[in-house]
Amino acid sequence: MLNNVFLKTLRDQQRSLLYWALYLIAIAVVMALFYPTISKMTAFNQYLSQLPASVKEMFGAGVVDYTSPVGYFSTELFSFMVPLLLLVFGIGFGANAIAGDEEKGTLGFLLANPVPRWRVVADKFGVLVVSMILLGLFFWGGLAIAASSMHIDISILKLGEATLGSVLLALVFAALAFMAGCIKGSKSTSMGVASGVGVLTYLLNTLGGMVGWLKGYRFLSPFYHYMEPNTLQNGLSPVHILVLAGLVVVFFIISIPAFTRRDIGQ
Amino acid sequence: MNNDTIINTVKLTKYYGKQKGIEEVDLQVQRGEVFGYLGPNGAGKTTTIRTILDFIRPTRGSATVFDLDTRQHSVEIHRRVGYLNGELALYNDMTGEDLLKYLGNLRGGLDWKYVKDLAARFQCDLPRRIQGLSLGNKQKLGLLQAFMHKPELLILDEPTNGLDPLMQHEFYDLLNETKKAGRTIFLSSHVLPEVEKVCDRVGIIRQGKVVAVETIETLKSHSIRQLEIHFARVVPKEKFSNLPGVRDINVQNNILTCTVVGSLDALVKASAQFEVVNIISHEPSLEDIFMTYYNEGKNNVK
Repeated sequence: MLNNVFLKTLRDQQRSLLYWALYLIAIAVVMALFYPTISKMTAFNQYLSQLPASVKEMFGAGVVDYTSPVGYFSTELFSFMVPLLLLVFGIGFGANAIAGDEEKGTLGFLLANPVPRWRVVADKFGVLVVSMILLGLFFWGGLAIAASSMHIDISILKLGEATLGSVLLALVFAALAFMAGCIKGSKSTSMGVASGVGVLTYLLNTLGGMVGWLKGYRFLSPFYHYMEPNTLQNGLSPVHILVLAGLVVVFFIISIPAFTRRDIGQ
Repeated sequence: MNNDTIINTVKLTKYYGKQKGIEEVDLQVQRGEVFGYLGPNGAGKTTTIRTILDFIRPTRGSATVFDLDTRQHSVEIHRRVGYLNGELALYNDMTGEDLLKYLGNLRGGLDWKYVKDLAARFQCDLPRRIQGLSLGNKQKLGLLQAFMHKPELLILDEPTNGLDPLMQHEFYDLLNETKKAGRTIFLSSHVLPEVEKVCDRVGIIRQGKVVAVETIETLKSHSIRQLEIHFARVVPKEKFSNLPGVRDINVQNNILTCTVVGSLDALVKASAQFEVVNIISHEPSLEDIFMTYYNEGKNNVK
């Protein structure tokens, strides 16, 4: 595991990845365990149906039947909790990858070796993507096993597609934190920028569902491209996926010259 | 530039924001020499080194290492250089052994037997996690990783930081062996006796500017010396005034004290007119020499 920057960085993530994976699996299992109880609470459904459309928007677009498996998992897991957890992991990792090491001084130490700077950026970004995908796989696996053992009537494939959507959404902000770190070299700034943009674009999307004049700008929010297709019901929407993946790629591409051109801090 | 110039900087200048950095630094380090880069903290030693290694980019000027431009060929240069940071930051969660293996892999493999030998010489506790190591033990690891691939050029920023005297000696021995093998060493230091002991030439940097590059011998000959000459009888002070390089003359009865910059010749010849009983010379320490160059800016004595 010490052959190159990619493997070494992945090795450093082992413990963190393990805990996050267990955490995500636990959440998937607990949520699945509660479903049979929820499914019998039809009164709750009636209450929800009386809510104004704009409030429903906050629980995820187009979800009407909360007590259905799709409604339940969309609302409880995919509309907020799972993307949020992946975001926290992703932004933390993204900010730490370059800027964190730079502040510790270990990046300068690494760069004294015959490794080009672009390669360090690419390897670390690669570990970010792989880590997020691994977490997604663990979560999906946990959820799929729990849901099928509870005989919940939901498509395992669609659960996977919704998870992939969450992973991509989180990767957008993780890549943003990573890029900010490559530009500025400050971990706290990177985290601040990525979290700030995250909160603002989240608000843009949810408020855009309620406030008329904002509606036209919702497409600027990665959350819009994540929530709008209602993936758990309809499967992945290529256009929205491309937008999210495109952002990740753009942030990565900018990261390389941003980092190779500037002075490295002590 | 001939083949034997290992490091060559041309008007290397780096400003950053508030800090001054370095200005018009011209340095040539020759193959097989031990070059000392002397200056107090904050003079610009580390800035020079970091520019040469392409961690930071010059505002003006340029540098080559092995005749390779530091901006264009940094990876190739890094392959042939062993570097020790001034503010050493190692991966705390690794063991020393894992760290060296990792760095070795980044360099495409190592002569592991040589690494083990070096580790034994410096009494490195390789299986221990770096986190638990003392400053001195971390420094030894830092030295090991700089030397372990037998680089042609070693760039060592304050290499003896935190080393106990025994380990310092081991390090000086290693420097000598390295030099004998024809490899080149560039080391920065503010520890003067160390530079005196191991270096062939010294560059002195002050407030971002190189004020002198001299061999150790020349440096000493430029030095300030406190002399005390005991004569058989009272001597007239006038005979000693206006001698080149002689200052602060004080005659009390038959004892003359003065400060001599550089050659003693004029003073010795003037003294020879009288019967000399004793000459007491206070051997200049590099510290004094250092101060001479430092005071130059203020007093303009040379």
